[in-house]
Amino acid sequence: MAGWPENPRLISTSIPRVDGLAKASGRAKYPSDERPKGMLYGVMLYSPHAHAKIKAIDVEPAKKMPGVKAVKVLMNAGATLRYHGEDIAAVAAETEEQARDAVRAIKIEYEVLPHCVTEEQALAEGAPEIVTGGGIANNRRAARGQTKGDPEAAIAKADAVIEGIYSVPVINHVCLEPHGLCASVGDGKAVAWASTQSVMATANELASAVNLAFSEVTVLTEVMGGGFGSKFGAELWGKTAAQLSKETGRPVAIFLDRAQEQLAGGNRPSATGKIKMAGMKDGSITAVVGECYGTGGITSGFDVIIPYIYSGVPNTSNTNTSVFVNAANQRAWRAPRHPQSCALTESALDDLADKLGVNPFDIRMKNLPGGNLQEVYAEEMKIGAKLIGWDRWKPRSQAAAVRGPIVTGMGMALHTWGGGGSPGNQVTCVINPDGSVEVRSATQDIGTGARTVLAIIAAEILGLEVADISSRIGNSTYPRGQGSGGSTTTPSMAPPAFDAVSKARDELFKRVAGAFDAQPGDLSLAKGQLLVKGEAKASWKDACRKLGTMPVSVTPEGRDGNAMRELTSTGVGGCQFAEVQVDRETGVVKVKKLVAVQDSGLILDMLTWKSQVYGGVIMGINGALFEERVMDPVSGRCLNADMELYKLAGATDIPEIIIEPYHTEAMRKRGVIGIGEPPTISTMAAIGNAVANAVGVRVPHFPMSPMNVLSALMAKA
Amino acid sequence: MPDQEPQNRGHNRRDFLRGSGLAAAGAVLGGQATAAYEEAKADLIAEQGAKVVSGEVEITLKINGENKAVKVEPRCTLLDTLRDRLEITGPKRVCDRASCGACTVIIDGEAVYSCTTLAITCQGKTIETVEGFDTGPKGVPHAFHQHDGLMCGYCTPGFVTACKNFLDKNKGKEVTLEDVKKGLDGNICRCGTYIGVFEAALAAAKAMK
Repeated sequence: MAGWPENPRLISTSIPRVDGLAKASGRAKYPSDERPKGMLYGVMLYSPHAHAKIKAIDVEPAKKMPGVKAVKVLMNAGATLRYHGEDIAAVAAETEEQARDAVRAIKIEYEVLPHCVTEEQALAEGAPEIVTGGGIANNRRAARGQTKGDPEAAIAKADAVIEGIYSVPVINHVCLEPHGLCASVGDGKAVAWASTQSVMATANELASAVNLAFSEVTVLTEVMGGGFGSKFGAELWGKTAAQLSKETGRPVAIFLDRAQEQLAGGNRPSATGKIKMAGMKDGSITAVVGECYGTGGITSGFDVIIPYIYSGVPNTSNTNTSVFVNAANQRAWRAPRHPQSCALTESALDDLADKLGVNPFDIRMKNLPGGNLQEVYAEEMKIGAKLIGWDRWKPRSQAAAVRGPIVTGMGMALHTWGGGGSPGNQVTCVINPDGSVEVRSATQDIGTGARTVLAIIAAEILGLEVADISSRIGNSTYPRGQGSGGSTTTPSMAPPAFDAVSKARDELFKRVAGAFDAQPGDLSLAKGQLLVKGEAKASWKDACRKLGTMPVSVTPEGRDGNAMRELTSTGVGGCQFAEVQVDRETGVVKVKKLVAVQDSGLILDMLTWKSQVYGGVIMGINGALFEERVMDPVSGRCLNADMELYKLAGATDIPEIIIEPYHTEAMRKRGVIGIGEPPTISTMAAIGNAVANAVGVRVPHFPMSPMNVLSALMAKA
Repeated sequence: MPDQEPQNRGHNRRDFLRGSGLAAAGAVLGGQATAAYEEAKADLIAEQGAKVVSGEVEITLKINGENKAVKVEPRCTLLDTLRDRLEITGPKRVCDRASCGACTVIIDGEAVYSCTTLAITCQGKTIETVEGFDTGPKGVPHAFHQHDGLMCGYCTPGFVTACKNFLDKNKGKEVTLEDVKKGLDGNICRCGTYIGVFEAALAAAKAMK
């Protein structure tokens, strides 16, 4: 089986996304924009309490409200609500305003129960037990640990040892399009326009929710407004919309309001680590001990890898304890557990470097993990150091000598991710007699450029332009496609696209060769022409016309794991450098410059690849400077379930960002690897290290907000 | 102490209520505020012959050059009216509280958050939405497409609208990166496409010259 073309015409160039103009002109229809005839508006009623029992619920007043067509109770009397934002009931009405009125008319008597909404509350002596069973006691699941070598002995012999407590708070996904779907159920069929990262998983869940065969359910996701790991299924609200549609015989749309989106639409587990790190004067790390805990809300899901990256450290020990609080369940969040693991490890490492008097660049170079990424990291670090101007780096002690409130500093961090493809996915390629070409699969584009990448592959193989290809995805009835998580979409879908288009081309050659008095092996395609023995004989369209009335349509078998490796790979490095400016009087941190050097095998579209990396970095800046879910320990409610007090970067917060693809011949030969997660991992750690370098003291708690910066400066003074 | 509010000095609660859409305010107020609301209502009726409306009323909105009749409740926001009652779904509902700019439309030449603008206050005004913009090579949408100033694209109509309004207001001027950042600071993107957005805005500024 042939591999990717040696000298591609389109692959690795910068190609604008095929659905870009539709999105930029407001013409793209998102699931939340669909208004099928007769559609009812569904509104969810959710818990105002962190922890409460429903003593009585009366929906009769809601049913009598104007415009109301159906009311569905999801939590009956006796049910326990476990977090602010948990679903209780839903109303479908002619207008959204009427549905909201009806939700307000539902009468509920609560028995408010004691809550724990922060880790401090949950871990306190005598705290109310909010989750029991499954090995959970005192609101925690007993620590799971791993030890390698003899950390205590190594610490005793080390030239320097640091110990610190570092933490990253719970943050929210903040998908701009809220979770939800519009469902139309009737006549033994269901259609749903869903804002999802997996049309197939959503179709499966909806089928069982309305008791239909999977084959009778169609889930459509032409475009969708962001998921970041939080949108994989139909969810209770989506199933409810489908059930309300079945009951009323009308399409029903339920999309969460912004408050519930923030409360229940997804969050990333926190992480707090007591980290002890030991090293020698030559810069080698000899021991790392981590005692870590974090919360995934009402479910488990906290987990960190300590030490992150530096797998060659001979003596390590790490224990992870999941803490349970009255908050919505965590969801996968762009690079699950990596940003937290990176922040904890890389912060401690810079503190150790400072104590040893070693340059942070040198200590990383000295302790790089072995294996095939070692050289990649080393090269990327050299490139990044040059781009940020690391030769200007000064030790933390410089801060004391600076007069006035403004100080600057530099920091760096490394990261890793898999990003390999999953086997078994399929693509259909259709070449029509009029020359139009379609590729189809039940995957979806969550904003990454997945749709464009399929068109690029097809155009490359067929000697056409990207605009000549119809890339049809986001439909659960198409051949099996990848769910969009873990940076797996492109590496999973590129091989089946390559196979389908290659086989469709071969089939075309077989069927039209006779018309050109040639053998199929004599034919080739280039620049929109059919060539016979290298000589242009017909335009693409004229060649396709020889098909007569029947198109070419092929859907090759999905590849197995071994065959996937011919076109894809897994495992990337990457490093980022930050330069910051801190006002020591106000605690305000400004990122001045950010450098990201990233490998990801063969890059298919340089333009959308760069957008992904910029986006990852900016998401990391958000985590470093702004984001934090704030829970009120007294009321148990979330205090910033909106976009006013839950802070995200705006245009004037964006620094100079330099993206450098590490795209050498050796990297291109690795084949396709996903890019979604890697570039967002180490940004937070790099910025945290730059802040420590600037102010001369570690700010141990993210985000690097004025409060946390000033608290660290006060603690030092 | 509301009863000691200085009179005739800047805004008072009655003025505020009069300016913020009486009917909508009345729906959510209670206690002393209700009394102030009733007073403000009486004032308006007496002074201006204003009509207090409730329930659905038909109004006409001029959107992208077309007069459109639509039934709204007084509390309906312009955004929800556009999306739910007129199926003009380019402007998006994201924060619903004037924080993120995804709902941006242009009213009488000014970029406005339609999520916090009542539809009934837009009668007689000129409303432009992203759907009405030139999609050709000189238009802002084209620049966003070419410079990949979008990923999931849900914030994009708002950014494109804010960008067009900003560039229209700065026609003939040399627009810098700093100007663009300030001009677009009322919008939020979660995917982090700002770099592409800045490039698109600068390119669109050139194309408009």
